[in-house]
Amino acid sequence: MEKREFPAILAHLETMIDFVMRSAEKQGFDKETLGQIRLACEEALVNVVSYAYPGKEGTVEISCAPAPAGGIVIEISDRGVPFDPLSLPEPDTTLPMEQRKIGGLGIYMVRKIMDDVGYRRADGRNVFTLTKFLK
Amino acid sequence: MAEQVTVTCAGGCAKVVLSGKLDAVSAPGLQEELKKLIGQPIEKLVFYANDLEYISSAGLRVIIFAKQKINVEAKVYFIGGQDAVVNVLKMSGLDTFMSIQPTFEE
Repeated sequence: MEKREFPAILAHLETMIDFVMRSAEKQGFDKETLGQIRLACEEALVNVVSYAYPGKEGTVEISCAPAPAGGIVIEISDRGVPFDPLSLPEPDTTLPMEQRKIGGLGIYMVRKIMDDVGYRRADGRNVFTLTKFLK
Repeated sequence: MAEQVTVTCAGGCAKVVLSGKLDAVSAPGLQEELKKLIGQPIEKLVFYANDLEYISSAGLRVIIFAKQKINVEAKVYFIGGQDAVVNVLKMSGLDTFMSIQPTFEE
């Protein structure tokens, strides 16, 4: 398992994603799946960067471990405002562009891409877990 | 470094060239460029995606922003998108509301 902490700011987004991708690449995913994992990671991390610490600094801790029977388990945790990304209503993807609302699309894509997602609040942290299995 | 012009407008048609990654880091810059088009008579929003390698929801939001703020009636074209990028459009359902084409033909 690899674990690292980053400042929860946009300037570190690339570094955070690279950290996850280096781990994901070792698991044997094909190029297309790696691209999807990259996208899901960005969406989950941007949410922490954007909303976890309004008006102040904070960190995000990312850990990556191989999934049992192949794949990757990514855990993203922060000490910010309690927030369960899975509680967001799904955006209505049948709505034309002019009627689309701002939020929800990022987490929606995480749920579509990853095989399993989970949230828990523990020890004052939001912990968001994303799992992708090797097929 | 040569100046890169990414947003041009002529004859009611706005042409936006996307390249590299359109993600949470680069999307705000594009949105600022697109804001300059607000108030101009634009009927077509043409996004050239031949060199676009990656798009995330932040990028999708800029496309939505363009349509909502520039002209809600404008027709949106997405030209030359790579499979991985078009798949993201499909995931969001936005593919049904734009013309996804290999080249720009009206």
